[in-house]
Amino acid sequence: MVNFTVDEIRAMMDKKRNIRNMSVIAHVDHGKSTLTDSLVSKAGIIAGAKAGETRFTDTRKDEQERCITIKSTAISMYFELEDKDLLFITNPDQREKEEKGFLINLIDSPGHVDFSSEVTAALRVTDGALVVVDCVSGVCVQTETVLRQAIAERIKPILFMNKMDRALLELQLDAEELYQTFQRIVENVNVIIATYNDDGGPMGEVRVDPSKGSVGFGSGLHGWAFTLKQFSEMYAEKFKIDVSKLMNRLWGENFFNPKTKKWSKQKDNDNKRSFCMYILDPIYKIFDCIMNYKKEEYEALLPKLGINLKHEDKDKDGKQLLKVVMRTWLPAGEALLQMIAIHLPSPVTAQKYRMEMLYEGPHDDEAAIGIKNCDPNGPLMMYVSKMVPTSDKGRFYAFGRVFSGKVATGMKARIMGPNYVPGKKEDLYEKAIQRTILMMGRYVEAIEDVPSGNICGLVGVDQFLVKTGTITTFKDAHNLKVMKFSVSPVVRVAVEPKNPADLPKLVEGLKRLAKSDPMVQCIIEESGEHIIAGAGELHLEICLKDLEEDHACIPIKKSDPVVSYRETVSEESDQMCLSKSPNKHNRLFMKAQPMPDGLAEDIDDGKVNPRDEFKARARYLGEKYDYDVTEARKIWCFGPDGTGPNILVDCTKGVQYLNEIKDSVVAGFQWATKEGVLSEENLRGVRFNIYDVTLHADAIHRGGGQIIPTTRRCLYACLLTAQPRLMEPVYQCEIQCPEVAVGGIYGVLNRRRGHVFEEMQVAGTPMFVVKAYLPVNESFGFTADLRSNTGGQAFPQCVFDHWQILPGDPTESGTRPYNVVQDTRKRKGLKEDAGWISTGLHCEDLNYSGHSVLNTVEIVTSWISIAKFAFTVCSLFYPPRRLDSSVVTAALLFNRWCSCSGIVFRASPMVLSQSCS
Amino acid sequence: MFYIVGLGLGDCKDITVKGLEIVKKCERVYLEAYTSILTCGTEALEEFYGRKLIVADRDLVEQGADEILDGAKDTDIALLVVGDPFGATTHTDLVLRAEEKGIKFQVIHNASILNAIGCCGLQLYSFGETVSIPYWMDGWQPNSFYDKIANNFKNKMHTLCLLDIKVKEPTLESLTKRKKEFMPPRFMSVSEAAQQLLLIIENRRKETCSSLDITEDNLAVGLARVGSDNQQIVACSLSKMKEVDLGGPLHSLIIPGPVLHPLEEEYLQKFKL
Repeated sequence: MVNFTVDEIRAMMDKKRNIRNMSVIAHVDHGKSTLTDSLVSKAGIIAGAKAGETRFTDTRKDEQERCITIKSTAISMYFELEDKDLLFITNPDQREKEEKGFLINLIDSPGHVDFSSEVTAALRVTDGALVVVDCVSGVCVQTETVLRQAIAERIKPILFMNKMDRALLELQLDAEELYQTFQRIVENVNVIIATYNDDGGPMGEVRVDPSKGSVGFGSGLHGWAFTLKQFSEMYAEKFKIDVSKLMNRLWGENFFNPKTKKWSKQKDNDNKRSFCMYILDPIYKIFDCIMNYKKEEYEALLPKLGINLKHEDKDKDGKQLLKVVMRTWLPAGEALLQMIAIHLPSPVTAQKYRMEMLYEGPHDDEAAIGIKNCDPNGPLMMYVSKMVPTSDKGRFYAFGRVFSGKVATGMKARIMGPNYVPGKKEDLYEKAIQRTILMMGRYVEAIEDVPSGNICGLVGVDQFLVKTGTITTFKDAHNLKVMKFSVSPVVRVAVEPKNPADLPKLVEGLKRLAKSDPMVQCIIEESGEHIIAGAGELHLEICLKDLEEDHACIPIKKSDPVVSYRETVSEESDQMCLSKSPNKHNRLFMKAQPMPDGLAEDIDDGKVNPRDEFKARARYLGEKYDYDVTEARKIWCFGPDGTGPNILVDCTKGVQYLNEIKDSVVAGFQWATKEGVLSEENLRGVRFNIYDVTLHADAIHRGGGQIIPTTRRCLYACLLTAQPRLMEPVYQCEIQCPEVAVGGIYGVLNRRRGHVFEEMQVAGTPMFVVKAYLPVNESFGFTADLRSNTGGQAFPQCVFDHWQILPGDPTESGTRPYNVVQDTRKRKGLKEDAGWISTGLHCEDLNYSGHSVLNTVEIVTSWISIAKFAFTVCSLFYPPRRLDSSVVTAALLFNRWCSCSGIVFRASPMVLSQSCS
Repeated sequence: MFYIVGLGLGDCKDITVKGLEIVKKCERVYLEAYTSILTCGTEALEEFYGRKLIVADRDLVEQGADEILDGAKDTDIALLVVGDPFGATTHTDLVLRAEEKGIKFQVIHNASILNAIGCCGLQLYSFGETVSIPYWMDGWQPNSFYDKIANNFKNKMHTLCLLDIKVKEPTLESLTKRKKEFMPPRFMSVSEAAQQLLLIIENRRKETCSSLDITEDNLAVGLARVGSDNQQIVACSLSKMKEVDLGGPLHSLIIPGPVLHPLEEEYLQKFKL
C-alpha cells in the first residue's frame, strides 16, 4: 500500500537538494487538512477514494469530531517527478543531478487563531508554505496573519485556491467572474507579501504568480487540482508552443479570438479571455453535463480529454461521478507535488538566507557556517520547536529540524533551553539522545540518524526542555532564536482538582500540558492558585480537556476565565520620587512618564530592541518619538524579562560609581515591571528616568540587598504619582455574515463594549464582513451569543490586536479599573483595598521634601478602610465576648485615626474596654 | 531614654561598666547582629548580663526603627552594637529618628576596629579613607575600593580594609520574592580579600599599560579577631597573603602606605612571615 519504505526515505535524506520542508497554512475552514489528504493519498498512505474525507493529519479524536485541526501534524512522503517536470527546476541547489525522487516533509497546521502558536512552531522548521485560500470567502484575517508570520520567518509561500467546487456548484459564478475572483485573491496575497517582504531582500521576489505555476486551483474535497502548467502542457502540442510561454498567455489580460486565431491584449467582442476559454470552459462543461445528467454528452467528452473511467465507476452519476472524473483528469496530488517541488526552496537554498534570522551567535562561527551550507558534516545544530505527546503517558517526542550536522540515536549532545547563555551552565544538559524517529502523521518510525535539512523527532530529550530548545554538539554554539508568537496568552483560568488529594496529579498534569502546547502557560500564583493562560476561549477549552483526560487524568474544577491586564501611566510623575535604601545611605531620585504612542508596539515588534546598536537606536527614537538623543543613548534596559515594552533611562549627570549599582537597579526594574504596583500585572509603555543617585562611599553598603528593593519602591512611587492606569487586551474581530444578520451583530457588539470600524461586502458574494474591536474580557461566550442573535449566520474570528487603556482611575474606589484591581489582588492573594499604598512604601518614598498631600491622603484612606472593617465587625458581633486580636489592633488604629482627625466615635471606647477586659 | 551601647571587640567582658549598668536596668535590650560579631555567642552575653537579649537583624534595625524605639519615651531601651556605635557601622539614622520622635538618647562608646588596628604598629594618624571589600557575586563585582586604596597609597597613607560579613542576607533570587531565603553566613578571610584584590590588579594590568600603584608585591597586613585572646597578625606580600589562613572570623586587611616610619617598620617586623 505505502509506496515507500523507511529505508528509501533515509536514503533520500542525504540528498538534501531534493528535500522540501513545507507547512500548510490558512484561515480556519479553508480546507488545509482536506487538501493535504490529496498528497497523502498520492503517497499511497490512504486510498484515493477516501482522500478529502479522512483528514489523515487530524490525528486526535476531537479533531475528527469537531472537524478542526488543533495540533500541527508532520508527515514525511516520498515522490518521484517525471523527467519533463524536472526541467522546470533550474536552480542547481534545488535538485540533485540524476535524482527524480523528492522527500517532502509536510506539516499540516491548524487555522483557528487560538492555535496559531502551532503555526509558528511549524513555520520555524519548514522552508516553504502552501497558503490555502477558500476562493469563495477570499483572503481572511488569519490568512494574513499566517502569511505575515511566514514572510517574517523567511518562508517562501505558494498559493492554492481551494473550494472551486463550491464556486461552481453553489455560487454558480460564470467564468469571467470566477477569473476576477481568482485575480483579486492573487492580488490580495501579493499585497500582503509586498508589505512584509522586501523584493531586494535576501529571499528575493516571493510573489505568487499563476503564470509561473506557483498558484494552484482546485478542490481538496473532490481531490482535483491544477496549475496553469497542467493545462499548458495539454495545449502545448496542439499550438506548437513552448509550455512556459503558453503559461504566460493563459493568465492575465490575454485574449484569444478563435475566428482570426489572433492573440490580443484587449477585450473586444469576438475574443475571449484565454484563462476562461482554455481552462475554465472545459471544466464548466464537465460540471454542466455531469451535474445535469447529460449522459451522451459526457460520454463523448471524456475520451476527448483522455479520461478512461474504470468499470466500476461507470455506473456512478451526479456528484459521485463528477468527483471520479475530475480526480482522474486533474489529480490534485500531482499538481500539488509539482508546485511544491518546483517552487518551494530546498533546505540548501533556504538555509542560506535563513541562517541570519535563526542563529543568535556570530554569523561566522562553525555553527553558523554549518547552518548556512546545510552541511551534514558540520556540528549538529537542531531546533526543537514543539513537544508531541507519545503513547506513553507523560513522555514526549521533541520535534524539530536539523539545520546542520547529523543527529543520531545514542549520540551525546548538548541540550540548551531558551535561557541558556553561552559560557554559563544554566539551562544546559549534556545527555545522550535515546532514539531518533520519523514522524509519520498517525504513527512513528525509528530511524538510525537524520542529516541536516530534515525534520524528525527525538526520544528522551523531553525531560530537559520545557517547550523548545537547541540541540548541538558544538561547545561554543549559541542558541537558535526563540520563536516569536503572533498571539499572546491573554485569557486565563484557575484550576483545582475536585478532590483535594489529587493535587500532586494536577501539578504533574500541568507540567505535561505546558510541554505539549507551544504557547500555553501554567503558572502557580503566590496564593497557591494554579493558572492556565491561553490565547483564547477555544484554546483554553482544548487545554483543559487535555489536562483532564490525558495529562492529569483527574476531575478538575475551573474558575471563570479572566484576562490578564497591563499597568501603565497616563502622565509624568507630578513630583520627584525618592527612595532610601534600608540602611538610609543610598538614595534614588526617579520619575515615570508614559511612552509616546507606538513606541510600546515598536518594542513588541522588535523594531526597537535591547540588541540594537545604541547609537542607531537613539537616532531612531529621536527622529520618530522626539526623544532627547543623548538620553536615548543611555537606555539601561528593557523590561520585563529584558525585552518588554518599558524602559529605564539614565538621566543622571556625573554620578560616581553609578555603574556599580547598575545591575542592581536593573534587577529592581525587571522586578517592578513584571509585577506592577496596582495588581502585580506586567507594566506596559512606561519610561522611567533616573535623575539622581546618592550613594554610600563604600561598596559594601550599596550592594544588591540595599539597591534592588529600593529601586522597586522608588519605581512604585513613580507609578503612583504618574496617574496609573490599567490596560486591557482587545481583539480584532472579523465576522462574516449575510446582510440580514449585520443588525444583530451590532447589537451584540454594543452590549460587549465593542465597536465596528469597517463593514464591507465581499466582492462577488452576498456576504458581508464586519470588522470590530472587542475587549477580550467581553469575548467570553461571544461566539455563542452572536450565533443566537443572528440565527447562526455569523461566524467571528478574533485575533489579539492591541492593548487599550481601561478608562478611569484605578486608585479611586467605584471605578471599573478599581474593581478590576481589587479582583485581581484578591485572586492573587495580595492585600486588598488601599493596602497596597502602604505595603512597600514609606512616607519619604513619595516626596523627598517631606509633606506630600497625596501621601497623607492615601494613608488616611487605608486607615479609614481598616476602621470601617473594625466597625462592621464590632457591630456584627456586639456584644462580643472575646474579640480577635486583629480586630483589637484595627480598633486601636481606628481610635488613633478618630483622635487625630478630631472625630469622636462612640463605638471605639467600648471596643477598647472590651479588649481590656 | 534610648541608649546605644558599644560592646567592644573581644568577648562579653569588654563592655564598659557604664554600659553594663545600663544593660541591666533597661526594659528591652536589642543586640545588633549583622554588621559585626563577637567571638563569643549571644548565649554567653545573656549569661554574663544576666538578662534576655533580642537579636536584631538587618531588617529590624534598618526598617523596624519604630519597633525598636517603641516606648523609649517613658522606659529605657538599649541597642547593643559590637565595637563602637559610630564606628565602622554608623547608626546615625536611628539616632536621627529617635530625635524626631523627641526621644532622649545616650551613646556609650567603646573600642572599634577603627582604633584597635593600632595593635599592628601602624600609626593611626597615617591611615587614609577606610574601605570595605564586598563578596563578589555573579554580575556584581565592584572594584572601586581598589581606586581608593591606590589613592591612599599615592598620598602615603595606610588603608584599612574591612571585610564583608554576610549574616542573614537574603539571596539575590529571593529578593524579588515574597518569601525570603537567606544565604548561609559567611565571613571574608584575608586570603579571600587578597584574592579579589589580585584579580582586580590582573584585570587592571590588561586594561592599562601604565604601571599600577598597588601590585602583588605590596606589603599587606592581615589581622584576625582583634581584641580577643587569640588575635593573630601577619604581615607579608599581597600574593603571599592569598595563601595565609588566619582561622575563624573576623578578619581585616591593611595595605600600608609606601613609606613606613622606622618605628612602624620595626614593630611590623614581629609579624613578618
